[in-house]
Order: sequence, then C-alpha cells, then structure tokens
Amino acid sequence: MQEQMKTWEYDVLVVGGGIAGGESALNLAKLGYKVLLVEKEPSIGGKMILLSKVFPTLDCAACITTPKVSEIARNSNITIFTGAEAKKITKKGERQFEAIILKKPRYVDVEACTGCQLCEEACPVSVSDEYQYGLVGRKAAYIPFNIASPRAAVIDIENCILCGACERVCPPNCIDFTQIEEEFLVKIKSVVVATGFDLFDPLKIPRYGYGTYKNIITSMQMERELAPTRPFNTILRPGDGKMPDNIAYVLCTGSRDKSVGNPICSQICCMYSIKQAQLLMGALPMADITIYYLHIRAFGKGFNEFYAQAQDMGVEFIKGKAGKITEKENGNLVLRYEDIEAGVVKEAEHDMVVLSVGVLPHQGISDVFDNQKLELDPFHFINQSDILASPAKTSIEGVFVAGTASGPMDIPDSILSGGAASAETTSYLRRATL
Amino acid sequence: MARINPEFTDELIKYGAFDPNACYNCGNCTAVCTLSDENNSFPRKMVRYSVLGLDDEIKASLDPWLCYYCGECSITCPREADPGELMMSLRRWLISKYDWTGLSGLLYKSLAASISAFVLLAAVVIWFGAYWHFNLETVMHYGHYFEIAAISLVFLAILLPNIIYMWWLTVYKPGIKAPISVYIKAIGELVVHLFTQKRTLSCDDNQLRWFEHFIMVLGYLGLLFTTVFLDWFSTQSMFIIVLGYVESAIIFIVTFDFIRRRIQKDKEISKHSQPSDWFFVIWLFMMGLTAFLVRLFMDVNILENNIWMYLVNLIILVQWALIIVPFGKWTHFLYRSFAMYFANLHRATLAK
Repeated sequence: MQEQMKTWEYDVLVVGGGIAGGESALNLAKLGYKVLLVEKEPSIGGKMILLSKVFPTLDCAACITTPKVSEIARNSNITIFTGAEAKKITKKGERQFEAIILKKPRYVDVEACTGCQLCEEACPVSVSDEYQYGLVGRKAAYIPFNIASPRAAVIDIENCILCGACERVCPPNCIDFTQIEEEFLVKIKSVVVATGFDLFDPLKIPRYGYGTYKNIITSMQMERELAPTRPFNTILRPGDGKMPDNIAYVLCTGSRDKSVGNPICSQICCMYSIKQAQLLMGALPMADITIYYLHIRAFGKGFNEFYAQAQDMGVEFIKGKAGKITEKENGNLVLRYEDIEAGVVKEAEHDMVVLSVGVLPHQGISDVFDNQKLELDPFHFINQSDILASPAKTSIEGVFVAGTASGPMDIPDSILSGGAASAETTSYLRRATL
Repeated sequence: MARINPEFTDELIKYGAFDPNACYNCGNCTAVCTLSDENNSFPRKMVRYSVLGLDDEIKASLDPWLCYYCGECSITCPREADPGELMMSLRRWLISKYDWTGLSGLLYKSLAASISAFVLLAAVVIWFGAYWHFNLETVMHYGHYFEIAAISLVFLAILLPNIIYMWWLTVYKPGIKAPISVYIKAIGELVVHLFTQKRTLSCDDNQLRWFEHFIMVLGYLGLLFTTVFLDWFSTQSMFIIVLGYVESAIIFIVTFDFIRRRIQKDKEISKHSQPSDWFFVIWLFMMGLTAFLVRLFMDVNILENNIWMYLVNLIILVQWALIIVPFGKWTHFLYRSFAMYFANLHRATLAK
C-alpha cells in the first residue's frame, strides 16, 4: 500500500473548507503558496453557506459565501479534495510535515458531471437530507444543495441499493461505481487546522422533548427554513405544515450548562436568534415571537442596536430558562419557565419552539497528529498557546488554527481568524527563505 | 430595608449547602420542580435570598418545607449549584432558628457536640441502671415512666414553643390575619399531612420512597403508642405482643433500606448525607431492632439474665427522645406538616 501511494508536495495543508479554512487557503494562494484544501463533506463552504442572513447587517450569507467559494475553487494555487480527511500528520522537522490524506470515493467523475440532476430523478431511494437538517428528504444519488461547490452529484453508498438507475440516465456517463478509497502521501511545510464546530444535539436534554414533539426544531433547522435555498417556500412547522403564528426561542440550549458538559457561552446564539426573530417578522408579519433568555450578550459592533431594533419590532424578551416543554394534542407546545423579573413560575403556549443550540468542539483532529501533541483547552477546542500575541499558534510549531476550531465565534471573527492563521503561516514559511 | 449579608452563605455551608453563589438566576430549578406553583415559586427565590443573605425573608418563608427533595433541580442545574441540597440545608438552618434552646444549631454544626451528647446520655442511662443495681423490674418500671415523661416534656417544653415561634415568624409577622374558622378548617389537612406526607407523591419518581416512608411513619407512631400506652413490654395480651413485633420489624426493615440507599447513593436525594441524616436513620433502625429483641428475649425468658439488652434499648430510646426528636431530623416531620397548614392560611387569606 505504502509503495502505491501517490506522493504530492504542497506548501500548506488546510484541514477544513469552511469560511475560516477557505479564507486562509485563499490568502496563502494569493501570496503564491501551493495549498491543499481538504474537506470531509462533498462541498466546501462549511456551515456558513447554509445560513440565511448574517447579523447584524442582515446581508445574505449565501451571497457572501458563494463568490468566495468560487474564488477558492478557481484559484490555480489551491487543490481541493472534497470527501477527504487527514488521516495522519507527522512532523518530520522544521517546515517539514508529512500527511496521509484519505479520499473517499464519490462514485461520480466531478469533472464530467454537469449537475443536471437526472440521476436524482431516477434514484428510487429517499433518505433524510442532512443539508436541510432533516426537514425534507433527498435521494441516494444527489447534489448536496443548490449552491454546492463543486456542484456535482454524489452517490450515498450507505443507502444506495445499487440498482444502476442513475448510471443509465446520466448523459455524460459520469457515474462510476468502480471508484475506490484512495490514500495520498502529501509533503507539506505547514498546516492550518480549520475543523470548525459541531452543533449541540438537543436529544441530550430529554425534558425539552426534541425528537419526540414534532414542532420543536433547532435554530439550524430554522436557519434552513429562512435561507434562500430553503426546503419549503415559506415557514412551516414540521408536525402538520401549519404556518406558525406564535414562535418561542429557547436560548442557551446546550450552552452555559454544566449538566450537559458545556459550561461556556457559545457567543452566537443570542444574536442569531434575534436575527431569526427579525427575519420571521418579515416572513410572517402576524406572528408573535418570544425569546426566552438568561442574559442577552450583544457585545459586538452594532449588536446592541440590533437587539434594540428587535425589541422595537415587537419581539418579546422574557428572562427565564425553559425548564420543560410538553406537547398538547393539537401539536402546540407548553413551556414551563420561571419569569425571573416576577419571580413566579409560569406556563406559556406556543405553536412552534426553536431551540437555540450551542457550539461544541468538532473533535478528532488532535488524534491525527502523530508524533507531537496538538493540545486542547479545557473545553476540547484547540488550545491557542499564545492567545494574546499570536492567536493562531498551537502547541505544535508550524501548525496554526483558524476559526471555530479554537472556540465559539461569529462569522466576522472566523474570517479574521482565518486571516490571522494565513498571516502566521506566511511568517513561518518566510523565515526559512530569509 | 433589607440588608445584604454575604457571610450568610458561609453559615449555610456549615449546614451542608454547596455553592449557592454559582447560581446565575436562570430559574431552571423552579421550572422543573413539580411542586412549585404561582403561589410558591421555589427554589430559585430561596437561592437568591441565600446568596444575598436575606435571613429574615428566609425565616418568614414556608417554601423550604414545601420541597420534598426529589433532586430534579440539582440534576438539571446548569451551574451545578445544587439547589436541592440548598433547600435541605435551609430546612436544617430553619430548625435551628425555630428552636428557642439553640441546641439544634449547635448539634447540626458540630459533630463533636452531637457525639458528646450521645455519649453523655448513654452514661446517664448506665448510671441509672447501676443505681437500681441492674434490677430488671425496677429499671423497666422507671424506664417506662421515663418514656411518658420524656414525650410530654419534649412536646410541651420544646416542640410546642418552637411551633408557636414558627407561626409567629411565618404567619403573624408577615401580617397574615386568618379568622379562627380558617384555622379550624385547615386542621383536617394538617392531620392528613402529618400521617401521610402525601404531597411527596407529586414529585416524579417518588412513589416507592413515599410508600416506605408512609409505612415507616405508621410503624413508628404505632410502636410509640404500643410501648407507651399499651405497655408492650409488660402486657400479656397476645394481640398487643404481635402488634409490637410487626411495628418494630417494619421500622428496622424499612430503615435498613434507607441506610442502604444512603450508602449506595443511587439517587440524587441520597447522595449527600450529613451526620444528622445518618443519626436519624441509624437510630430509627436500632430502635426498631432493639425493641424487637427485648420483647423476643422476654418471650424466650432470657431477658432476666440479659438486662444489658433492655439497657441498650433504653439508651437508644433516650438518645432518640432527647436529641434526635427535639433537635434533629425528626422535627422535619412536624414542621413540614405545620408549614403546609400555615401555607393554607396564607392561601385562604390571599383568596379574600
């Protein structure tokens, strides 16, 4: 196996093709460095490309991400591996790393695929669509989402029944079931870790009834309902397709909560919930929106004004954490909470509940480093060894961190962090030549 | 004007509380509590009072007594501030405040004082046995008198004034003026709560605990009645003899299970045991067991030569009646029921 492995050489390996990793890769490529961008999903763009708008400017997230993603894809200094993972990274010496990259078969020739979607139509298998966060289904032969990059089909081999229907209808004959898993040995000089974050799984709080009660969704599901590439053409509650007119937000679901193992603030939930509330008021002008909060953390530029704007628009803010949620026969939900200002326990009925889920570390990358330890902080994010002077530095010299891999942050901060990582990487690489 | 007293939490920690200062006032504890309602929203308010050190507000509140410690608030607390154990500590603290003698507070806070008191009483009983030359008949005769005297004394001199003081703190001082008719009407429920503690059934997952507790209370009150008024140790009536056996057996079997749970710590409620909790369950267990054995020794005619068995039973009884009942955990039983009675007065007055 070792002998057959293809060996390539690059200047920098960027692990993770979200907005932070993409920003780093693009900056480095513009300076003339050869970059290998490795993304585990079949499309780059990370979570940002799936969002509706960004706070506090209400700019369209996709309209910012897609041009950036295209620029990354078109840059001749960047090689993108989608559906690929860094399996092992070994430091061989100063500015010498070796990485083994595992590329999973897509079963589609990306260069040849035109994205015509005929395979999707032909495929008889329907499964839950992870890019719409389970709100709708997709086929086993599918294009991840409309603005995916590359916009090419993927065969979900786990669910594929190998009927060959897609292969028969594909006009350029790009479906290829003979593809196999490949391993590459890559020689690089530096690594940028931009592995991003995971969202808290509210199934871990059974008293909220997520997964049992149909009309409770996560904030990411609401984000999809509001996005331009949304699954329905309006806002619907999943239980019965009714347009909701009384929506509740439960903040700090899985953040600042020691009982679920995540004691820290996720930094984004207050603002994205306020943003969604404002967008919902536009989408459903008659709807009441109530946000149950512990403390509103509107700390960024223009954030507090954005919060005040939501209050002026009529969003109701109630201080108190929802203790439990129960479902009524008509699918409405009853929230039991203590109204902290009144000091009294109350119950309120809503026809839809959105759980503002928190940011958790995306774990696993530290195990990939072979002979040196990539240290984590107490919350299992990547430790920034010199957070004030060089925030992109990690415990391994030559390995830098970008974006939410180092902790919760919003989009502008992620992009800034991606920029910082590329600058630190450049400085590390230039020291050799000078 | 309320005065803030940051040292108050240090005082509460001596009664077993953890760190109420960790609380960030989210109200999760109040919202998950099945016993909390619009009239009595707890425990967050009590956590807040404790953090600020508003001891007068806590003294005037009945909320700590309305909690039956299912532990749900502590399990789900996002700050791990352990509100359930705080409520338990507040009950201990309140017991020490209701108690005019001040001994409750001393015994709760100092294990050394508790052990000294137990040893002292044991010595007195042994001295008492020696004084009568360990003559079984005389010792039992006076032992029985002691039971009656101790019960009357503890009730009249300690528990009754304490209940009156509790009434003064929680009903009179806050200005609750309920007519006599309301007082009389609510008595029925007081008796029901005294015997059944049925409110605990509203807690989730508490049925077995309630049932054990219920038959234990019946066994305990029954044994008290059987030994004191039916004179179990001297009676010839077969019915009373068997009744006493059953009652004492219930006590030591059920309390054995209570002790097992406190050792295994399988539920939130049994995770944190203070010395006062151990004394309560162990003495109850010993009381049931030794009473059972004394009667057994009598029925197989070996007590005459084993008077130590009766003395052990008497030591346990004296320690129980003079330490645990007036100053220890036993008082929960009384204050809890009266708290519910007083809460009814609050509600009746507010309704008007």
